Amino acid sequence: MESLSACIGDANAATFCCYRPLHSTFKFLCHFAITVVANVPRLQMVHKRFFCSKIFPNAADHHFRLRHHQNKWLIKQVTKSNFSEALGEIRTHVSNSDFIAVSLQQTGAYSAPWQRVLPIDTAETAYLKAKRAAERFQVLQFAVCPFSVKASKLIAHPYNFHLFPRDELKIAMPSYSFSCQLSYLTTMAREGFDFNACIYDGISYLSRAQELAAADRIGHSSPISYGVPSSSANSVADSVFTERTKSRVRHWVNACKDSNKKTEDALISTLRKLVSGSELYGSRPCLIINVCSERQVQLVLEMLKEFVDVVPIVVPARGGEVQAIRVVLTSSEEDKNLLEKELQDMEEEHNKRVRGFREVIDLISTSQKPVVAHNSLNDFTFIYSKFLAPLPSTMDEFKSSLLLVFPHILDVNHLMKAIGPFEKVNNLPASISYLRRKFFAPIDMEVSHRAEADNVQIHGRNVLRISELFAKLCSVLKINPETFEGDYSHLSYALQCHANTLNPSFTSSEDPIDEDVRIWNKNSRRISIDNLALLWGLESGISAAELKALLHGSHEVFSKEFDVQMVDKNCAVIVFWTPGFSDRFLKIMDSGEIFCESLKDMISEGSAAASYKTYRSVCKLGLWEADLADALDKALEKSKRLTEAMSEEDLSVIDWNNDKMINLDDL
Amino acid sequence: MKKYFLVRAMTEAQARNRNQLFPFNRSLCSSSNSSDLALKNVTKSNFEPALAELRIHVREADFVSFDLEMTGVTSAPWRESFEFDRADVQYLKVKDSAEKFVVVQFGVCPFRWDSKNRSFIAHPHNFYVFPRQEIPGDGPSYEFSCQTTSLDFLAKYRFDFNACIYEGISYLSRSQEEEALRRLNSVCNDESSESLSSSKSVADTQLVRMADILFAERMVNKIGEWRAGLLRDTNEGSEFQGSSNDTVQKLQTTFFKMRPALVLNALTSRQLRLIELVIKKHFEDLVYVHATGEISCPQPLVVYTDSTTDRDLLMREIKHCHKKEAVTKIKAAVGFRHVIDLLSTERKLIVGHNCFLDIAHIYDKFVGPLPLTVEEYVSEVQKHFPYIVDTKVMLNSDSSFLHLVKKGSTSLSKAFTLLCPQIASPSVSSIVLADNPHIKVEVQVGDKRFSNWNSGAKHEAGYDAFMTGCVFAQACTRLGIDFNLHAPPVDLVHNEKLQKYINHLYLSWINGDVIDLRTGKCATDSLGSTNLKNRYPKILFSNIVILWDLPSKLKAREIKECMSKVFGSDSVTSVFHLDETAAFVQFSRQEFVSCFLELKDTLEQKYDPISVLHPLSKILEGGRTRAASYELYKEICSSPISEVLFSNQAEAVGIEWRTRLLEPVVEVEKQEDKASTFSQDQDRKETSPINNAAGTLSCCHFPTDELVDSFYPVQAQLSK
Repeated sequence: MESLSACIGDANAATFCCYRPLHSTFKFLCHFAITVVANVPRLQMVHKRFFCSKIFPNAADHHFRLRHHQNKWLIKQVTKSNFSEALGEIRTHVSNSDFIAVSLQQTGAYSAPWQRVLPIDTAETAYLKAKRAAERFQVLQFAVCPFSVKASKLIAHPYNFHLFPRDELKIAMPSYSFSCQLSYLTTMAREGFDFNACIYDGISYLSRAQELAAADRIGHSSPISYGVPSSSANSVADSVFTERTKSRVRHWVNACKDSNKKTEDALISTLRKLVSGSELYGSRPCLIINVCSERQVQLVLEMLKEFVDVVPIVVPARGGEVQAIRVVLTSSEEDKNLLEKELQDMEEEHNKRVRGFREVIDLISTSQKPVVAHNSLNDFTFIYSKFLAPLPSTMDEFKSSLLLVFPHILDVNHLMKAIGPFEKVNNLPASISYLRRKFFAPIDMEVSHRAEADNVQIHGRNVLRISELFAKLCSVLKINPETFEGDYSHLSYALQCHANTLNPSFTSSEDPIDEDVRIWNKNSRRISIDNLALLWGLESGISAAELKALLHGSHEVFSKEFDVQMVDKNCAVIVFWTPGFSDRFLKIMDSGEIFCESLKDMISEGSAAASYKTYRSVCKLGLWEADLADALDKALEKSKRLTEAMSEEDLSVIDWNNDKMINLDDL
Repeated sequence: MKKYFLVRAMTEAQARNRNQLFPFNRSLCSSSNSSDLALKNVTKSNFEPALAELRIHVREADFVSFDLEMTGVTSAPWRESFEFDRADVQYLKVKDSAEKFVVVQFGVCPFRWDSKNRSFIAHPHNFYVFPRQEIPGDGPSYEFSCQTTSLDFLAKYRFDFNACIYEGISYLSRSQEEEALRRLNSVCNDESSESLSSSKSVADTQLVRMADILFAERMVNKIGEWRAGLLRDTNEGSEFQGSSNDTVQKLQTTFFKMRPALVLNALTSRQLRLIELVIKKHFEDLVYVHATGEISCPQPLVVYTDSTTDRDLLMREIKHCHKKEAVTKIKAAVGFRHVIDLLSTERKLIVGHNCFLDIAHIYDKFVGPLPLTVEEYVSEVQKHFPYIVDTKVMLNSDSSFLHLVKKGSTSLSKAFTLLCPQIASPSVSSIVLADNPHIKVEVQVGDKRFSNWNSGAKHEAGYDAFMTGCVFAQACTRLGIDFNLHAPPVDLVHNEKLQKYINHLYLSWINGDVIDLRTGKCATDSLGSTNLKNRYPKILFSNIVILWDLPSKLKAREIKECMSKVFGSDSVTSVFHLDETAAFVQFSRQEFVSCFLELKDTLEQKYDPISVLHPLSKILEGGRTRAASYELYKEICSSPISEVLFSNQAEAVGIEWRTRLLEPVVEVEKQEDKASTFSQDQDRKETSPINNAAGTLSCCHFPTDELVDSFYPVQAQLSK
C-alpha cells in the first residue's frame, strides 16, 4: 500500500501514508463500518469502492485518465513559443472567472526523510521546512486554471506553463542552481514529462525583488512618466536651460514642418539634420536632447508639455540614470496616439521579456480573485520565493506579506476537513473519490480547450482536479460560489472562514498559533509539544514497536501510557500522555541516576534525548543534516555553547542548564 | 570584480560562438539523418552488449580517452575558480562540485594502433548515465544539484535530457555496493526477521468482512483436502486434481524443491494474504512461499513439508535463494560502474582534457566518498588509475603549439581543429601544420569503419572523448613518438618522452597549477598560463584577509584607498571581489593581516569619535562587516552548504563573530610582527604632517582630511 500510494505521483499524497502505522488501517476500517451501517442499502457498494480506492489509490487516477481521454479535455501546454498568446488568453479568462486554481510541479520537496512536513511539526516548523524546500528546489510546471461554478457546472480554463529558470538577460538570475530529488524526477518521467521541452523551451522569470535588484542592469528606453516637477523656484540656470531647449525644439519642429512642404536639396536637408541634431525614430523625425541631471529631465519634460504633437522618450544610461531625452514629432493627434500605443506595447514586450512567467502571477495577484490550491503552504512558499521575494524567517511575516499579494487563498485540503475532520485523505484523487463515495455532488465539467490534436496532454491535470474538488466541496458544504461577483467582501461567510488558513501540515492546522501537534492522523488526539521528547542514536533500522517494547516498563515514566513514532531511521519521538513525564524522562536521560539496564545500554551505545525545543531550534537554525540525529546533536552543541557564553558573561545568573552540565561532567 | 566578470564573459562568449557553429540536433531519435555515422549511444536498453563489446576494445586499446558531461560545475558564484585559490582550496572546490552534481553523459573512446594500416582505430562510446534508485535503501544519491547555466549550455548543444532521465544507466559506487551487501547480510543473518514473505502485513490482516471469513474458511477446507490427499497416498497426487477440477481451477499441484506444492493462481493480493494467514493458523506442515524472480518460484505456492526439520530446511533454502537473488540484483545495480572497473583493472593509459574534475567525479560516483585532503585523494586515485594524461597539460607545454594558437585558448575543440585538421574538416587541406605528419584515425562504430568520421556534435561526451584521443595521438607525434617503430601494443605508459606528462593534471587551469598525482605536489606550469600569471602579482595567502558583509556597493578601489590611509600607500597589493558581498585584500606584508584584524576589533568595541572618523569606518560602515584570515575561506569552502551569496553562506555556516583574530599559536610571531610594524610606522610618523596627537585630539580643530591621514595603526593602538 505504501509503495502504491507513493506511485501515484502526487508528492504530498505519499507523505502521510508512509508514516501511517499499519494497524491504523484496521481502526479506519472499523470507523468506516460504523458510518456505513447507517446507510445500509449502500453498504455493499460503498465497501467495494472503499477497498478499491484504498488498496489501489491509483485506480482513481486511472479512472481520471480514462475519463479524460473520453472527453478529450485539453490542458493547454504553454512554453516560450506560445507564451505571449497564452498570456493574452489567460488574461481574459482570469477576469471572467470567479476563482483561480493553481498547482505546481517541483523538482523535489525534501532532502532527507525527516525534512518533510511531519505530523509532529507545528505551524512554525512546518513553515521552516517548506521554506527550505522552496529555496532549494525549482518549479518546472505551473498549472493555472481560472474557473467559475455556475449551477453545478464547472467552467474551467486550464493552462500548464513549463518553466525553466534560464538566465535570459545574462544577469545571473533567477536562479544560480537548484536541486532535484531523484524520486521526483522518476515520478515525472513515469508520467511522461518531456524534460527536453522544459529545459529547451521553458519560460523564464524574475521575481519582483530580483527585478528591482536588476533594474539598473536591464536598461531600456521607455516613456517613463515623471511626476510633476516640484514647484521649487527655478534658478537662473534652470530657466536659461529651459528657454534654450525650448527655442531649439521650436526651431526643430518648425523646420520639420517646413521641410514637409517644400522639397529640398538632399545635401541641405542632411546639413539641416546635422545642425539641428535631428534623427529619425522609426518613420518619425526625432530630436535628442542631452541632459546632465534628474532636474534637467524634469525641466525638459515639463517644457515639452507646451508642444502638442511631440512625445518624449527617456533614454536611460547604464546604472539607471537618464542620459538623454528623445523628442519624437508626430504629424497629428491620431499619430501621437498611435505612437503612444506603440511605446506602451514596447513596454509590455519588455516586461514580458524581463518578468516572463511572473506576468501570470502578477495577473492573478492584481485580479484579487480567490486562489484555490491543494497544499497551500507548500505551493505558496514556492510562489513567494520564486516570484515575489526571498522568504521571511517567520511564518507570521510570511502570512502577512503573502496576504497582501493574494488576499484570498482557499485550501481544498482544509475544506476537506470541514467534511470529515477525522478522515485524512491527503491526495487529490483520493479526495475526489472519497467525495464521490460519500456524497452526491454531481459536477459537470466544461473545459475551454477541446483537444484539437490526438494527443491529450495530461500534464498539469491536478489543477483540474482541484477545481473539480472545490466545486464538489462547495456543493456539499452548501456554499454558493456564485453569490459573490466582483465584490469579494461578500465572500460568503462559510468560505470566508476557510479562506487564508494556510495549511502548514496535514494535521496541525486548525489553529495557526496552536502549539499542539497531532501524532497520528488516525485520531484527533492532540498533544502539547511539552509532552514530546526526541530520542536518537538508536540502533539503525529499529522499528517503533521494537523500541516501545524496549522502553516499556523500563522506568516509571514508561509505566503509564506512552507512544513511540520513528522520525527517521535512528531517531524517534516519544509521546507521554501523562503531563510532566516528558520532563522527567529528559532529566533521567541527562543525569543517568536512576534507570534500568535497557536504558543504560541505550545511553552507553550513544543514545541521547532532548525536548521538542531542540527540534524546533534545529529547524530555526537550518541544520538540515541528512540524519535528524546529527542535526539534533549540533543543535544541542550550539545551545550548550550559547549557555556557556552566557554564564561566562554573567556568573550571577544561575542557569539550570549549566547546572546540569556539571552533573554530566561528574559522570 | 572586473576579473571575475571577465572570466565569466569569456566562457559565455565561447559558448555562444560554439553554439552558432553547431546548431545540430542531438536527440537520439532525430539523428536519423546521419544515423549510420552517429557515434554509439549506450542507454540501459543496450548496455549489456555494449559493455561486452567495450571490454574487448579496452583490452586491446593502447590508450582510452574519456570525457564527462555534468549537471553543473560550481554550486555558488564564490565557489568558482579564482586566482586567489590555494591548492587545498582548489581541491575543496573540486570536491564540492563532484559531490553536488551528477554525471549525465560519459564518453569512452578506446584507441588502438593498427600497424598494418598505420592508423589508430577509435571506438567512441557515448553512455547516458543517470543515478536511478535501482535497489531499495540508500541509492546512489538522494538528490543532486543542477546549475542553471550548465543545463542551458547542454540544451544549447541539444543534449537529450529525456534519454538521460528515462534511459540513463544507473550505477552504484564500490562503497555503496559494499554497504548494500552488508545490509543484506545483516538482514539475512537476523533470525528474528521473517524474510519469507510480507509477513508484517499478515499480522495486520484481520478477518473483518463476511466475504473474507467465507473465503478463508473455504481455503482452509480446500487446502486441508489437498493435504489430506497427499497424506493418503503420496503416489496418487493426481487424485486431488481430479476431484477439484470442477471447483477450483486456481489450485494446481506442482513440485517445489522436491516437495509437493500447491500453485495459487489468479488470486488477488488480499486473497493471498488471507491464505497466508490461514496456513499459519491451521497447518503446521504447510509453508506459504511467495517470491518473485527467476531463481525461486515466480508464483505463490503452498508447500508441504514432512517434518519441522524439513520445514526449517526449506525455509533456509528459500532464504538462501532470496539472498542470492538480492545479491544478483545489487550486482546488476552496479551498472555503469562496470565500465569504470574495466578501465581500472585493465590499467590502461587514461587520457582526458583538463580532467581533474572529471576524475573527481569518477571517484565520487564510482569508488567512494572523496577524501578530505588532496594528498589522500591523489594516492587513492593512483590506486585505481595509475596512468592518467591530461592533454591540456601537454598542449600547454608545447611552445610551438602555443605559438600557433597565439593568445587563443587551448580549449579542446580549438586544439582539435588545429592539430587534427584532417579529421576535423577533411575537405580543407591544412597548411599550418604541414610539416608535421598527421596521425590517421579510423573510427569504428559497430561493424562499420570510417576513415573520415565526424559526427559533429561537440560537447557530447562521446565525441569529446574522441577529439581528446585524436589530440593526444597528434601531440604524441609532436613529442617525437613514432607509433610505427613500436610493435603493437604500443607501450605508451613507459615511453620516456611521455613520462613528464603522465599523472600531471591541472588542479586549476586559472592558476596554472599542475598537480603531480604521484606525489600530490603542486607546481605552476612553465608555459601555458604564464601569460595569465603575469597579469597578477604573486599571491601570498598569508598576506590575505577576507572581508564580507561589506557596505553595499563598496568598490575595490575604495577598499584599497581606506586601507592605504591606515597602513601606508603601498600596503595593499590587490583587492579582489569574491562576489558583491565579500572581498579578498592582499597586503604587501604579512603583519598587516593581524594588525588589521586587531584594529578592526578595537574599533568595533568602542564607539567614540575616533572610531567614527577612522578611515576604516568606510569599510566598517553599518557595523556588519566581518573579517578573518584566508583560512576562513578554506573553512567555508569545506562546508557542504552552498548559498548563492558569500555573506549568506557565512551565516549559514554559523559564523557569529565579527572579527576573528589570528590563532594564539601565531600570537608569538605576531608580537614580533607588531614590533616591526611599530618601527615601520615610527619611520612613517616622522614624515607624517600631524603626529602622535591622535589619541588626545578632539577632531573639530582639524579638517577631516588631514586628520584621516594621520590615523596610522600605531596611533589607534596608542589610544587604546
